[in-house]
Amino acid sequence: MCDQTFVAATFGPCDNCTTASPLMNIYIKNEAINYCSFCVEVMACQGLQKGESLANLKRECESLKKKLEEERGKLNDVELHQVAEKVEVVGALSIKTRRVLKGHGNKVLCMDWCKDKRRLVSSSQDGKVIVWDGFTLNKEHGMTMPTTWVMACAYAPSGCAVACGGLDNKCSVIPLSLDSNENLAAKKKTVAMHTNYISGCTFTNSDMQLLSSSGDGTCALWDVESGQLLQSFHGHTADVLSLDLAPSETGNTFVSGGCDKKANVWDMRSGQNIQSFECHESDINCVKYYPSGDAFASASDDATCRFFDLRADREVAVFQKDSIIFGASTVDFSLSGRLLFAGYNDYTMNVWDVLKGNRVSILFGHENRISRVRVSPDGTALCSASWDNTLRIWA
Amino acid sequence: MSGKMCSSSVIQAQKLVDQLRVEASMERFKISLTAADLVQYCQEHRRSDPLLTGIAASSNPFKDKKTCVLL
Repeated sequence: MCDQTFVAATFGPCDNCTTASPLMNIYIKNEAINYCSFCVEVMACQGLQKGESLANLKRECESLKKKLEEERGKLNDVELHQVAEKVEVVGALSIKTRRVLKGHGNKVLCMDWCKDKRRLVSSSQDGKVIVWDGFTLNKEHGMTMPTTWVMACAYAPSGCAVACGGLDNKCSVIPLSLDSNENLAAKKKTVAMHTNYISGCTFTNSDMQLLSSSGDGTCALWDVESGQLLQSFHGHTADVLSLDLAPSETGNTFVSGGCDKKANVWDMRSGQNIQSFECHESDINCVKYYPSGDAFASASDDATCRFFDLRADREVAVFQKDSIIFGASTVDFSLSGRLLFAGYNDYTMNVWDVLKGNRVSILFGHENRISRVRVSPDGTALCSASWDNTLRIWA
Repeated sequence: MSGKMCSSSVIQAQKLVDQLRVEASMERFKISLTAADLVQYCQEHRRSDPLLTGIAASSNPFKDKKTCVLL
């Protein structure tokens, strides 16, 4: 019997035979099992003896995939832009740069708005996390993280804390205090621990729980107070680059997108992957829910942004142009969901009409690729973070 | 036991089949219905979308207000 070679991350007593050996960490129906490689072989053979062979499983796989395609195809009775034909065209937009936030010493990788619609937090490659007042351009807090490439940052719903993470494989929560003399970085609390970089983080509806996505291919839900892992989400076969929480108050789903070109929708309570979309031709850099929660958009390195309908379980629109050849790194919807703002690696932002599928406007201004675009909570403004070390607020 | 068969690939295949079964059992709706809902949402919230319809400079804190003129 051939015993395959594997990378062992843990060594200890096997759950089955209790001999100490390198363990294979595998998940069966979301339960973590640590078996030595011999017990894994035995377990697999037992599965086979019950009449299922690998060939059978593969055949069932193929037939299920075909069935899914068929089911999805049946629903495609009309295109989104056809349904939207009677809707009036979007008028000329007068969106211009109103503020330029300078202060970061290196590429700004992420930003998030506070619910008070004026403050925002941004993080950059040099490890600095800055909280700004968007109206006055005042830097309210500045913290230095013990890592470079702080790729994710999020504002807590209460406005009293921020979370950030990056190459340190951890996501930390920092309470913001009004005392400017206090060293905020000292009060930082590590909440999430992954085995690879943190690509995205967001608080759930309260300050108490944090959702993180990581380069290790998993997403996880953490309790902020205790740092305990509440739920982990396995299913991506490559780095997860982005996640977004469903907008409703009672909503308990989120969508994630990654380097395996898939966008997965997850149930937060059970950890189950409820829907999966594989339409992009390259890494998905960003995913964002439509304001009603019934759809989401994704931005990818294949230079397209796509719109997926959750109830029809399929892609309903592709936002692309032959002249756009650079990857899209970020997307966000305007408040009504009519406009989709997408930031690209060619330093521009394209504004798409979601219903009709055409481009409405191009926003120029940044001098390097745009890493993140976010519309403010009341929809009055849009903030973009870029590798040119600045953030811009457009309105 | 064939040497080509890896135990982990059996487990992976089993997981994949389970996942696909879950996905196949989902209830789906026609696009004509769901798209109509998306369009309706956009139309309902059109007026409250400042970036779409544009709001006056005086009510947008980010836009510069017109300068005062002293008579």
